Amino acid sequence: MSAQAMVMWGGLALGVVFGVLAQATAFCLTGGLREWWSKGQMRRIGGFALALAVAILATQILAVAGLVEPARSLYLQASFSWLLVPLGGVLFGYGMMLARGCGARALVLLGEGNLRSLVVLLCLGIAAHAAMGGVLAPVRVAVAEATTISFGTPPGLAEWLGSVGLAETLARLIPALLLGGLLILIALRIADFHRARAELIAVAAIGLVIAGGWFLTGHLAADDFDPVPLQSLSFVAPVGDAIQYLMLATGMRVDFGVAVVAGVLAGAFLAALLRGRLELRGFEKPGQLVRAMLGGVLMGVGGVLALGCSIGQGLSGLSTLALSSFLAAAGILLGARLTVHGPIKLAD
Amino acid sequence: MMLRLLFIAALCLPTLVQAGSGPWERIDPARELLGESKPEVGALALDLPAVTQDGSSVTLKVSLDRRRHSDTVIEALYLFTTGNPAPELAEFQFGPAAGPLDLETRIRLDRSQQVFALARTADDRWLAGVRDVRVTVSGCLVEGTGSLDDDFMLARVRGPSRFRADRPSEIRAMIRHPMETGFREDPQGQAIPRRIVKQLDVSLEGEQVLHARFHPAIAAHPYLRFHVAAGLEGDLELEWRESGGEKAESRISIP
Repeated sequence: MSAQAMVMWGGLALGVVFGVLAQATAFCLTGGLREWWSKGQMRRIGGFALALAVAILATQILAVAGLVEPARSLYLQASFSWLLVPLGGVLFGYGMMLARGCGARALVLLGEGNLRSLVVLLCLGIAAHAAMGGVLAPVRVAVAEATTISFGTPPGLAEWLGSVGLAETLARLIPALLLGGLLILIALRIADFHRARAELIAVAAIGLVIAGGWFLTGHLAADDFDPVPLQSLSFVAPVGDAIQYLMLATGMRVDFGVAVVAGVLAGAFLAALLRGRLELRGFEKPGQLVRAMLGGVLMGVGGVLALGCSIGQGLSGLSTLALSSFLAAAGILLGARLTVHGPIKLAD
Repeated sequence: MMLRLLFIAALCLPTLVQAGSGPWERIDPARELLGESKPEVGALALDLPAVTQDGSSVTLKVSLDRRRHSDTVIEALYLFTTGNPAPELAEFQFGPAAGPLDLETRIRLDRSQQVFALARTADDRWLAGVRDVRVTVSGCLVEGTGSLDDDFMLARVRGPSRFRADRPSEIRAMIRHPMETGFREDPQGQAIPRRIVKQLDVSLEGEQVLHARFHPAIAAHPYLRFHVAAGLEGDLELEWRESGGEKAESRISIP
């Protein structure tokens, strides 16, 4: 099988697995934060933390084993914009709270028959492409060039520990075990998983899906003659790419991101069908439509500026221990917080 | 009503009406090649993505329309673009051991433009193909091309995954080289001098398969997929030369 075909079918499979697991566990950073901040319920945010811990540990183990080279990923580029990455995170975080779910969650909800998510996804995808190569791109590029910082070694925790003399195995395992272990402890403590062993396993498996993306694009499909970019799950640019694919399929190839998007939709639909959760939903008030559209646009633009979303930077990016991912994730949390606290908070 | 429809249809199809016309009429080196002859448009199929977010490496495939040209022998192929600083991409001369025209390489495109190919047949006719490509601002701002690293001029070649005597053998070849265009500046603002892979010679048991000349618009780490004629076996030798005077060789045996 060619590298391209392997990436396509593998991406589809990973997407289906993610879709099934995310549907079954209602996996969602937005919902987790909302329940935590408004009701003090920690189960879903604990689930996200656990998935993140597993993603970090599994990805760093792949790197230690020499199977994947995280420095080749987008998140560990030698230079990025110190302004746009955190700012994009803030826009994304605010947008995902407005739209009541990030891009991945919107795909899962659409699979369940929630047509409000279709509006979110269309706005997100089109806004993302407007910021990447469309009407907003010249502004983005100009600001990014004026605010770029460059690094000698790829800017990430493991790479920095390595550059001060630590062996690569230790430079990766020490931060991975500390961060992963801390997240697991917190997750198990704050979220009462004792009554939901299956859910515990399912969210941990979502972390493995992230590592699976790295393994697929970085090892299984690695072919110098037919190179594919090293990547894992993300739901900003790929949502736009999927919309573009619908319109330009004869001139495009299905890449990893588009395959994952299709897989998540299919997986969520299957899981909802089997679990009897399929239900058509629409907007009840025009205000909801405005929120969905505005949220989608903020997520699309913000996600491109931040180089990823709550999954792209929040799970895939953080699993590489990249500096840009920590900045973006902090921005996403801050943006989400601004919806419940401060001058631009949302009326509930 | 009928007349109006016809009128609209005529407006939509100007390319079919003017046989032989195309961007080669505006590009000087292509005009010189053609001289007085008019190429048969559409005989060459160009495969490129309709939209690309990374102009630094765009996959370009060129093949011959097999239905109309099952017996046509191609002697030379010339690839051009309309919107790069220089129009030439690459030139190929094919020898007796070359398979039917079906090759792939990776090129650099500065902006949205047309890419076209001209081919000269053994009986001195010209064939042409053209495609539009839209290049958008880089989608992910991934840092560009390589530098003169440890693997500089490392040449590799891969033969067909399954050899069949009745099918042309697919060969894929690659060499590590930054293909420095001469248009870039280093961080101190100094122009980086041009240094490119200039040519590739491929032969099978001493018989020529192809001779390729590359221009700076070939993407870093030049890559070429081509075919050796069906039924031929033996040692395939590849020799790359670059403008700095370095040379690299690689070889495999078919099957």
